[in-house]
Amino acid sequence: MTKAGSCQPPSGGKALAPVFFRSFLLQAAWNYERFQNLGFVFSMLPALRRAHAPGAPLNSAVLRHLAQFNTQPYMAGFVMGNIIRMEESVSGLPVDEAMEKKMLSVKTALASGFAAIGDRLFWGRLKPLMTQLCVLVWACGGFYGWLFRPSAGTVPAPSMALLFGGPLAGMAVYASFSVYLRWTGLKRGYACGGSSSCGLDAFDWPRLIRRLSAAGFALAAAAALSAFAFLLFSSWSGAPDPGFARKVAPVLAALAIQRAARKSGRSIFFATGMVIAVSLALVALFGPEGWAWNRNL
Amino acid sequence: MLSALWTSFCAALLELDNVQAGQFLLARPAFVGTLLGWMNGCPVEGARIGLLTELVFLDFMSVGGVVPPNGLVSAAVSVLAFSWGGLPESAAFFSGMLAGLIYCGVEYRLRAFRSSWTAAVEAEVRAGVIRPGRRLAAALLAEGAVSWAFIFLFSGWLASAAALSARLNMGPLFGALDLAYSLMPWLGLSGLYFRFRGQIHKNKAGA
Repeated sequence: MTKAGSCQPPSGGKALAPVFFRSFLLQAAWNYERFQNLGFVFSMLPALRRAHAPGAPLNSAVLRHLAQFNTQPYMAGFVMGNIIRMEESVSGLPVDEAMEKKMLSVKTALASGFAAIGDRLFWGRLKPLMTQLCVLVWACGGFYGWLFRPSAGTVPAPSMALLFGGPLAGMAVYASFSVYLRWTGLKRGYACGGSSSCGLDAFDWPRLIRRLSAAGFALAAAAALSAFAFLLFSSWSGAPDPGFARKVAPVLAALAIQRAARKSGRSIFFATGMVIAVSLALVALFGPEGWAWNRNL
Repeated sequence: MLSALWTSFCAALLELDNVQAGQFLLARPAFVGTLLGWMNGCPVEGARIGLLTELVFLDFMSVGGVVPPNGLVSAAVSVLAFSWGGLPESAAFFSGMLAGLIYCGVEYRLRAFRSSWTAAVEAEVRAGVIRPGRRLAAALLAEGAVSWAFIFLFSGWLASAAALSARLNMGPLFGALDLAYSLMPWLGLSGLYFRFRGQIHKNKAGA
């Protein structure tokens, strides 16, 4: 059925591809007044042009979506798909105040819901996991230079492939998952458009988040313990040695500072400041020599 | 100088991926540090600086409108301060952290500046002109230019400071920073551990 004016019939999802590509710029003009609104309108424009005739209908649709919008960028597809479907459902019809209110309330509700899920999933779990993956790749390749600084010439230099492989492995996993979720979200949102819970049950989010937390915890514990074991074994000369305590004590002190900072709700910058202050005090008291132990493990 | 300009430019391009375009994790400090380090002939130092920066800056999340300290700017400035400025790696790393912290204020102002754009776009739309893409392009250009200038100027300032202080006895200070730097992996690793442990506890409490 052709709609009134010169707009095109419902896209049946054909408008999704350009919206998907444009959605990568969702946060390009992020601002404090209405957050992602400009990026949202930019992303939605191909679908809005398809749904509404040029002139007043299109202008009012664009103005409608210049309202405040903020969600987790990778999850925005769920909201966009939903809104595209709703816009297409009113294509060629006069949009009354009730419909406009409904559209905006669905948009706001979904944006908040998906922001909460996306923040926990991506910022809280996946991003730190990708750092651990980098450490894991480097460790598997035999590069521990980020943990201990060996004296020049004592350890062969790692290959470029290994150095780049660490961060790139995480980027590949992370980018694949986020792009998949952007596209899936757009399709799922479009499929169930009009509902304020649309897409929230697309995956078992709580279970996914719990599993990622468990994996992250296991990896973090393994990394910290194996690094500490490596420190102990490489520092132990086989006999009681006063240097051993000097090698291990600063590390234990740093861990204690971090723990105390966490407990008092301070950031890692505070812990870093404390570590610098303690280091300055130690060097002032005992001189700068003798602290190069960490380089020669 | 030319190499520093080129390095800052690449860093500024990658900075766009941090928030504004794509968000494929190209702006992660571990990658930026390795890449810029490789460009400047110090890939191992760059990789180390990058990963340590990433471990430290993971503590901050860009939830809602919060502008966290910028890990990419920190890693880029650190690598340039080391390779171009001639600072010891430890001093370069901590100077980079400071740059990342200061850049949050710059980012805040850029975002605040864009707040007035909505009214202008609304006026354009009412007049029948629908071109939000122009604003987005302007935002990307501004962010790129500002981060490029910031990284280059901050690194240049560090390089000048390092050259001026060459006659001073900086040994004790650099010795202390060396010791602190050698402890940063432990701070980062324990930070990750405590973060995930907190999540596990929350999950258990919620179950």
